[in-house]
Amino acid sequence: MKRRNIILTSISILLLLVFIFVADSSFDAYKVRILNLCAIYTVLGLSMNLINGFTGLFSLGHAGFMAVGAYTTALLTMSAATKQQNFFLAPILPPLDRLNAPFLVALLVGGLLSAFVALLIGAPVLRLKGDYLAIATLGFSEIIRIVFTNTQRITNGALGLKAIPSTTNLWWSYGAAAFTVVIMALLISSSYGKAFKAIREDEIAAESMGINLFKHKVLSFVIGAFFAGVGGGLLGSLMGTIDPQMFKFAFTFNILLIIVLGGMGSITGTVIAAFIISSAGELLRFLDQSINLGFVVIPGISGLRMVVFSALLMVVVLFFRNGLMGTNEFSWDKVIGLLQRRPLIKRRLGQ
Amino acid sequence: MSVLKTENITMKFGGLTAVKDFNLELNQNEIVALIGPNGAGKTTAFNMITGVYRPTTGSIIYNGQRIAGLKPDAITRLGLARTFQNIRLFKELSVLDNVFIANHLHLNSNIFEATFRLPRYRREKREKLQRSEFLIEKLGLKEFMNEKSSSLPYGLQRRLEIARALATDPKILLLDEPAAGMNPKETDDLTAFIKEIRDEFDLTIFMIEHHMHLVMGISDRIYVLDHGVTIAEGNPYEIQNDPRVIEAYLGVSEDAED
Repeated sequence: MKRRNIILTSISILLLLVFIFVADSSFDAYKVRILNLCAIYTVLGLSMNLINGFTGLFSLGHAGFMAVGAYTTALLTMSAATKQQNFFLAPILPPLDRLNAPFLVALLVGGLLSAFVALLIGAPVLRLKGDYLAIATLGFSEIIRIVFTNTQRITNGALGLKAIPSTTNLWWSYGAAAFTVVIMALLISSSYGKAFKAIREDEIAAESMGINLFKHKVLSFVIGAFFAGVGGGLLGSLMGTIDPQMFKFAFTFNILLIIVLGGMGSITGTVIAAFIISSAGELLRFLDQSINLGFVVIPGISGLRMVVFSALLMVVVLFFRNGLMGTNEFSWDKVIGLLQRRPLIKRRLGQ
Repeated sequence: MSVLKTENITMKFGGLTAVKDFNLELNQNEIVALIGPNGAGKTTAFNMITGVYRPTTGSIIYNGQRIAGLKPDAITRLGLARTFQNIRLFKELSVLDNVFIANHLHLNSNIFEATFRLPRYRREKREKLQRSEFLIEKLGLKEFMNEKSSSLPYGLQRRLEIARALATDPKILLLDEPAAGMNPKETDDLTAFIKEIRDEFDLTIFMIEHHMHLVMGISDRIYVLDHGVTIAEGNPYEIQNDPRVIEAYLGVSEDAED
C-alpha cells in the first residue's frame, strides 16, 4: 500500500470517529436511530452479499439467521426480572431465566448459534442449486419463525420479547460495521474468497480445478450466517422489542434489495446501498407534506415518498443492471484518478 | 509404465449407450489422442475419467488406485487436470486470479489463517503467486496478467485454460479440443507447445482433437471412437490406413459396399 493511501485512510477513519463522537453527543434520537440502522443494515447486507453475491448461492434464509441472533442476544442480555415480566403466560425454561452475559459476549454467542444453525441446514440444502436452493432456504427461515412463535417457554411465542436493554449505540453499530467490512475485505481477497468467486463464476470449472464445492459453500454460508446473527442481535437491542412477525420474508427481501442495489459482489456497493435504503425512506419524507414551489402549492399526499422511492429503485435497476458498483470496489487510486481526469474539452484543447 | 487405465467403462444415459466398453491405457509421458466423428462419445469418455460422470460399469485405475465415482475435485487433487471444449474460465476475474485459484487446492492454511494473514498463509500465498506468475509468463500471457480473463482473444483464453490446468500441478493433462477455433499458424504453434509442456512439466497428455494435422503430428497413439464404440487403436500411421476409420469419417461408397 502506498504511503499516500495509508495517510488518506487514517484521515478518513479519524473523521469518521469525530463524526460518531459528535453525532453520539449532539444529534437527536431520531437521527441517531437512522444512523444506527444504516450501520446495522451494512452488517446484514455484507453478510448476505458473501453468500449471494460473492459465492453465488441464491439463499433467501437471511431473516431466519437474524432471528436466531436477535433472540439469543436478547435472552442473554435481559435481566432475570425483565424476563419474568415478559414471560407471564408461561414461565421461561429454567436455565434461561438466570443466563446472562455482557453485550459483546451475547452478540458473539448469537452469531455462533446462527452459524451453527446454518451448518445444520446447509449440509442438506447446499446440495441444491439456483431456484431450488432459494425455495429451500426460504422455507427454512419460515420454519424458524413458526418454531419461534410456538416455543412459548423459550421465545415467549407470538408475544415477543419486550424491554430488551438498549445497549446498541453508534459506537457498537459502527464498530460492528467496521469490523464486518474489514473481515469481509480480508476474506474476499484471500485464497478462500477467490475460491468463492470461482464457484460463482463457474461451478463446473471450479470443481475441476480441485475446489471442494460443498466445503466452500458451507464455509461461506456459515460465515454469512454468523454476521447475520450479530446484525440481528444489534438490531434487537436497538429496537428494544422483537417478535416473530419481524422476521418475515419481507425482511430478507429488504436485505436482498440492498445487495442488488449496491452490486452483487461489491463490499463498497453494499455499504453505500445500506445507507441509501435505510435513510431514503426518511430523507424523502418531505414528499408527503405539501410543497410550496412559490407559484403553486402541491398538496401533501401521504405515501408519495414510497412511490418515488420505488420509482428510483426501478431507475437504478434499469440503468445499472449490475447495481451501483457492479463488482467494483473503492480504492484511493481510483478516486484520485477520477478527480485528476480533466474535462474532455480541456483535453482536446491541450493537444 | 501405465499411469491411467480404464477397464470396460460404459456410460448409459437412460436407453442410450454413449460410450461402450472403453479401454484406455496411458503410459508415462505419452501423448495420446482420442478422435471420432461428432457425437461419438469422446467428451463423455473424458467426463467419466475426470469424475463429472460416474461410469455405469467398469473401473478407472490411476496409479493403482480406483478413481471411478470420485468427485471431480478429488480427482484433480490426485493429479488429473483438464481443459474444456467450450472455454470455462472464471470470466469476471483477472488472468492472475484464474491461475491463482487453481493453486487453492494445495493450500494448507485454513480459512482463519487466510483471513487474518497469519505467517503460514503469507508464505503459501507468496509461493503460489510466484508459481502463478511463472505459469502465466510461460504461456506468454504476462502482459495480460491483470486483465479480465473474458477480455482476452479466443486463442489466448485457450492458453489461459491450459495455464490454469497446469497450476493444479497435474501428472496427466486432459485437453478437450485445444485447437478448436485456431488458425493453421496457431495450431502449429500449439503442436510445439504441447510437446514443450509435456517435457517441462513431466506430463502425460490425453486429448480430444479434430485437427488431423495436429493429431497425426503429435500423438504417440490414437484411439478412435464411433457411436460410443472403440473402432481402432494404434499409432498415427496405422490409424490413417485403417479402413474402419476411413469409413467412419468419410462413409463408404455404394460400390464398395457390394
